[in-house]
Amino acid sequence: MSKRQWFHPELKEDKQVKSTQAWRSSAELASEPSFVNKFDIEFPEGDTLTEEEAELSRRSFVKLMGASTALAGMGMVACRRPEKYIMPYKQAPEWVIPGKAVYYATAMPTAKGGVPLLASSHEGRPTKLESNTLANKRGGTDAFAQASILNLYSPDRSKEFLFQGQVSSQADFQNALPSIAAKLSDANSAFVVAKDDSPSRERALKQLKQTYPKAKFYAYEALEADSAISQKVVINLSKAQRILSLDADFLGLDKQADVAGFYANRFVEGADYDQKVDKNKINRLYVVEPNFSETGGLADHRMRLAPSQVAKLTVALGQFIAEATGDATLGSITKGSGVKSSLTDKDLIWAKEAAKDLVTKKGKSLVLIGSGYDDALKALVLAMNVALGATSNIIKALPNTDSVELGSLADLKNDLAAKKVKTLVWLSPANPFYDAPSDYKFEELTQSVEAFIHFGERATPVAKAATWHIPAAHYLESWGDVKDVNGKVLLIQPLILPLYEGISELELLLAFNTQVLATANETGSVASPAYDFVKQTSALTEAKWRNALKRGFIADKVSLVPFTVNGSELVSIAKKGLSALVKQAAPTGQAVEVVFKADSSVWDGRYINNAWLQEAPDPIVKLTWDNAAWISPKTAEALGVYDKEIGLIGMNPIFKKPNSAISDAKDKEGPNRTAPVIKLKVNGAELEIPVIIAFGQAENVLTLPVGYGQFFDKHRKSDFKKGFDAQKHAQGSSERESYVGVNAGFNVYSLRTSANLYYATGATVATTKVRYKLAMTQEHHNMYGRALAREVSTQGDFKANLHSVKKHGVDSHAPENISLYKSKGSKVWHGDGVSAPNLLSDKIHQWGMAIDLNVCTGCNACLVACQAENNIPVVGKEQVAMGREMHWIRMDRYYAVVDGADEDNPEMIPQPVACAQCESAPCETVCPVNATVHTEEGLNAMAYNRCIGTRYCANNCPYKARRFNFFDYNKRNPLIEKNLYKGAAGKKQEGDSTHLQRNPNVSVRMRGVMEKCTYCVQRLEAAKIDQKQALRSKVMASGALSHNVELKPEELRIKHDGVKVACQTACPSDAISFGNLLDKEASRMVRAKGSERNYDLLNYIGTLPRTSYLARVKNPNPAMPGAEFVGQATINMH
Amino acid sequence: MANIFPRSFNLSPFKVLFCLGVVGITIILGLWYYATPKTLRVGYQPAQPIPFDHSIHVGQVGLDCRYCHSFVDESSHSNIPSANTCWNCHSHIKKESPKLEPLRRAMDKDYEFYDGKAIEWVRVHKSPDYVYFNHSAHVNRGVSCKSCHGNVDEMDVVYQAETHSMSFCLDCHRNPEDHLRPLEEVYNLDYDAAEFIKNNPQLGVSTQQELGEFLKKKWSIHPKESCSTCHR
Repeated sequence: MSKRQWFHPELKEDKQVKSTQAWRSSAELASEPSFVNKFDIEFPEGDTLTEEEAELSRRSFVKLMGASTALAGMGMVACRRPEKYIMPYKQAPEWVIPGKAVYYATAMPTAKGGVPLLASSHEGRPTKLESNTLANKRGGTDAFAQASILNLYSPDRSKEFLFQGQVSSQADFQNALPSIAAKLSDANSAFVVAKDDSPSRERALKQLKQTYPKAKFYAYEALEADSAISQKVVINLSKAQRILSLDADFLGLDKQADVAGFYANRFVEGADYDQKVDKNKINRLYVVEPNFSETGGLADHRMRLAPSQVAKLTVALGQFIAEATGDATLGSITKGSGVKSSLTDKDLIWAKEAAKDLVTKKGKSLVLIGSGYDDALKALVLAMNVALGATSNIIKALPNTDSVELGSLADLKNDLAAKKVKTLVWLSPANPFYDAPSDYKFEELTQSVEAFIHFGERATPVAKAATWHIPAAHYLESWGDVKDVNGKVLLIQPLILPLYEGISELELLLAFNTQVLATANETGSVASPAYDFVKQTSALTEAKWRNALKRGFIADKVSLVPFTVNGSELVSIAKKGLSALVKQAAPTGQAVEVVFKADSSVWDGRYINNAWLQEAPDPIVKLTWDNAAWISPKTAEALGVYDKEIGLIGMNPIFKKPNSAISDAKDKEGPNRTAPVIKLKVNGAELEIPVIIAFGQAENVLTLPVGYGQFFDKHRKSDFKKGFDAQKHAQGSSERESYVGVNAGFNVYSLRTSANLYYATGATVATTKVRYKLAMTQEHHNMYGRALAREVSTQGDFKANLHSVKKHGVDSHAPENISLYKSKGSKVWHGDGVSAPNLLSDKIHQWGMAIDLNVCTGCNACLVACQAENNIPVVGKEQVAMGREMHWIRMDRYYAVVDGADEDNPEMIPQPVACAQCESAPCETVCPVNATVHTEEGLNAMAYNRCIGTRYCANNCPYKARRFNFFDYNKRNPLIEKNLYKGAAGKKQEGDSTHLQRNPNVSVRMRGVMEKCTYCVQRLEAAKIDQKQALRSKVMASGALSHNVELKPEELRIKHDGVKVACQTACPSDAISFGNLLDKEASRMVRAKGSERNYDLLNYIGTLPRTSYLARVKNPNPAMPGAEFVGQATINMH
Repeated sequence: MANIFPRSFNLSPFKVLFCLGVVGITIILGLWYYATPKTLRVGYQPAQPIPFDHSIHVGQVGLDCRYCHSFVDESSHSNIPSANTCWNCHSHIKKESPKLEPLRRAMDKDYEFYDGKAIEWVRVHKSPDYVYFNHSAHVNRGVSCKSCHGNVDEMDVVYQAETHSMSFCLDCHRNPEDHLRPLEEVYNLDYDAAEFIKNNPQLGVSTQQELGEFLKKKWSIHPKESCSTCHR
């Protein structure tokens, strides 16, 4: 099964350029022969059936044959053209045109700020979410927002009211409301809400406070820290030229500001590629963090540091800044701490030079700190920002409003422990039995509560323990409002009536007030009371309200006030905690540090049932369906798990010693990959969790993504491996709450206490003999070649550096490629005076794409958006392990170290790769049935119906962009053990509504068919057809007879940048531009391709891809240690 | 040696062969019938819940196609009219007719069998689900309803007039001039190309082909034949 061997050209030795070592995984770095051989196979082990599988499919084949013969005999004629029905509306609703989508502006509420969205609705069912560019021009969305639509249709949603764990109804709850209200007015009660900022909820809480003076309000979400100094600020990152992030993943999971401003400053040609190249235009990013994050990957200078040591470094930085600026407040905080002597020389130089750079750009510098850190550190950082002048320019505050006082979870815990709460109303999406600090023992605390009302989208154990559980409506089913990260009030508008019994949060809050649970009626003739309520909150006139609904937000401008700081208060907060923080010892092998990190798939655990997110590989470690402890190779070696992790034979290049092979030869990469499980002890709690090698990780620090391990099912044995005791991990009731999240990962929250919410020190690690099965994508669909991802530095001769991009690797001496789609000899797409005729082309549209690696963080937003748009199925952990994931966009992530640089702190480069729509496509020539052919517009089209599944095309694709439907993933449930192998006898997809999400304009592919990126051809065709209506409009407008009206070919061309593809609209950094190559400079994509940074992937093979990449530019500070190694991570794979 | 089989067995092999042949042919015909694409079934004429007569409404009354199929020039899908479209007129005309019983069930709140449910029309034209045919792209470019649906204005019960197979589509995509007509005549099922040509001598065309060529050039019509035009 090995593919044709392509020998990539040898790299020429170049004394001028340092060589760079690049790798994707620990095994690849160790380059063990069995791995290398495996890479030559298209689908490692996945393309042959195991004995068990073969047996299963043989059996089911015989079964099927029997069944079909019987059927054929019985009802042959009945099979012929079943009568199909068309049911038109009885009363045609306004706006709905069958076959066309209707778009509504809405917003997704999150604690990091609401996400403005434009939701498309096909005949009343929401199908896709895009960013609302009216509310935020370059905002994009993240993977969570893209995937949130799946939650609406999730089969695991809570669908019924529960009373004491038993199924009840809305009517019963209505009957119980007066008695609940009586309790609320008689005795103390507690309302716990989410941490997003909603003006209408605020108003509803105020009203409740009036009705029930004894009520108290709290806000809680597991990963949102409570801080004494958290004033509502708006940070304008576009004004920041120097940014120092102290473990703040502000581009990824710890958003603190509108990131569009940051990215806009990252393009050397300007965010629209329309300005002169200027290296001084781009900002510089310093990052200090314990583990790689999306932000860290983009950093110009990155330091690995354990969280406990961040305080020391921050104080040192503060001292340097205080010395340089003479700021008294900062000086008094940092003075006399003696941290400088406790830092290593290298770190001290790092801090000194970074501080110097920040001070040079005073007024344009900003320091950010991770939201999980203590108030003392936050106060120190605030003082630094004051000293750097950021508070006068970059940081502004939202005007203070008279708001309801919201307590923290700690306050609630105290009130509960003092038995002061008789009625507890839980409205937060958090699951307190699971994610509250383990020392609170929240489940026991709630025993004293007389009435416990739980409102949520999932029927968690909390829902079952509560007196009442009320199913929550999805935000696409509710009226509401939320402030975005800039303080703009976004309106949440429903697109559909609740699919199940769910009600919205506002409806419930209003019901407590009025004792009547009113909702919209089934025909929609009676609106939800929440609608009027939100409208009243907005205080808009009818016309303005309609306009606001249309646009999705209330006011264009947000009035901001200067951010004022009380210096002495800062000093007192900082002084109080800092002295203890700077004394924290660095972690050692005996006292390991653990970090509790938000997970990129499940966030704080709330997305555990979202299959798209579960299957999206983690941006850093590329793990799907699970969490694992991230560990650096050296720490792993010291703890005795490194060899076990990768289990290799031969010499190990990291440790320069022979690897000790693990016993089971099959237990390596591919479907049988397992990871060693360690026993981790922190704060008296113990957890068994597998480890995964993560590069760029601080030594002796384990990073633990939270949110997993919510439910176990011991019967699904295939999820585990050797000696894994699923029973032990099964927690709570044996009843399974969901399909998707079962047996996924490990409950890290069990280690988390109120004193150690972000990190804990003094953990001990013991090895075990147990191994656990992990599904990682990092070694799937490997692409080999020279200069795959390219990088240059602003240091030295920047012009020459830019000029060298096209000449990286082999491209320096590869002959030029000739396009069949351009005039012969022409270098550009449009008229350059070459008279030779176009050889083959459409003269109206020629599609192309440019992906800018400079701003790509690998965040997965495009990957999930593509999945939503193109009906891409989920395949489940087993299949992912075999390399059968179906994502059309593969998010490659490379680590790279330049010779001589710090090997333990490599650079990280993400690179999204999808079908590049090669003009000279290798896949097309090998298809025996012409199922993949070229269109006039330069698309590499895939006719699913012609495909017979030879997979030759995938084998011949140098980009490895093709995906094969090994099974009927769309129809059969891949999450049930061995279900796919049962063929037609397998169980169908769970749930009655998941199919409603499907895009009606894209075929749902079946088993045995190849698929890949189509450049969203359905959108292109729709836009072209809309443009064709020009003839009708022209005839109507002119009043002439149609045969007298002329329509020129140019009039059929879509307006430049008028059609956007799914990945492009999702991208929060505007890294993807797409358009018509014939639009010339009017198209952003053409301008991007005109950049000197533009290069074709695997150019020397001569495939002429339509998707090109723009090299990454790093902007190092020459004075920093290791600056000479920055910006040279051009990736060559062997 | 005595014969094992009596003389009467002489013809048996032929009988067996004949029977096997009949069975074989039946199976082949059955499979053929079963596997023939449904789109090719010209003449399919199912009974509808309301025997709606296009020949009366279009041929005699003179309704435009777009009165009922209102989004045909807007959307990919040519909509079947919602019940309230019928009820606009039929709440006044022939309301009591037994043929309109399903409509009254859906719309007439005073009717004793009123249930308010939408009418289930039987689908006549069905393209396979991997084909993305767009009505608006065709009717706005001079392709008449008639080209694919035949003379619906003369049908008392609608049937499938053309094969709607891929070759049917491609024939027209390759030679659109056979079908193009002025936009004003797209919904005119009585349109006669010869008459139009006679009335418009200034165009300098004498046949449908020439007229088609003229319109094709004038409106920059270049029908695509690549897969993604119809399959996505």
